[in-house]
Amino acid sequence: MTPAVPPDETLLEAVTSAFRDTDPRGGLRSHPAWYDLDEDGRREAFERVTRARRLEVALDPDGLSTTGRAVLARIRRSAP
Amino acid sequence: MTRPDLDEHLAEIQAGDPDAFGRWIAAAEPTLRETLRSFAAVVDTEAVLQEALLRVWQVAPRFVRDGEPNGLFRLAVRIARNLAVSERRRRAREDVEAEPEGPSAPLVVMAPVDPLLRRRIEECRDALPTKPGAALRARLGADGVEPDELLAERLSMRVNTFLQNITRARRLLAECLEGRGVDLAQELP
Repeated sequence: MTPAVPPDETLLEAVTSAFRDTDPRGGLRSHPAWYDLDEDGRREAFERVTRARRLEVALDPDGLSTTGRAVLARIRRSAP
Repeated sequence: MTRPDLDEHLAEIQAGDPDAFGRWIAAAEPTLRETLRSFAAVVDTEAVLQEALLRVWQVAPRFVRDGEPNGLFRLAVRIARNLAVSERRRRAREDVEAEPEGPSAPLVVMAPVDPLLRRRIEECRDALPTKPGAALRARLGADGVEPDELLAERLSMRVNTFLQNITRARRLLAECLEGRGVDLAQELP
């Protein structure tokens, strides 16, 4: 049995960013690095994002993660 | 952990108050993310979660309560899971994957972070070496609206170096906190 290859650390860290680009219709695109991870790597990325967001919430005076701040920034940008 | 009714923010959200929606997000995000766990291998759950939150904001003005608590949150769970299923189906045209399963988790809102814990995290963050510290601060300060390429360029780093510095910063931060008797996994479950 071939041992599993650990996912690339830089790919995992890239996916941990809350930045997601938009497609031409305005929808959010998956992170390009996410496509380069295998299924185990994607599950590991989910765990790391979850941990990272908890840390962000702990440091944020409003208790918001970068996910929440990214969403609010898009809302405020699109406000009339 | 508490189980409040997040619909207490609904009137302000429906009036178009982003700050109220921010308070709702702060409480709802952890459980909402958890409901997407079963999709983690087949969709980018971060993108799905953000898209779901944006759609919740868009439909909130037309949302009508059903008399049960956390109606907007329950709607958010449906939106997020439907988006994940749609994305999985779209991707399945490229590579077929197993059907993810899993019921949505009940809403659990974490208690506010202990101010002492926050101070310790801040102290350890401030004690990071220059480059890892700068990379982590840039990532957090970007609030998810700027790509790493831009953040790295601003710090005169290559993107890979920037990412390696953030990884190093996370490791050093955890080690610093452990040295002060703080187990992040236990304190921030």
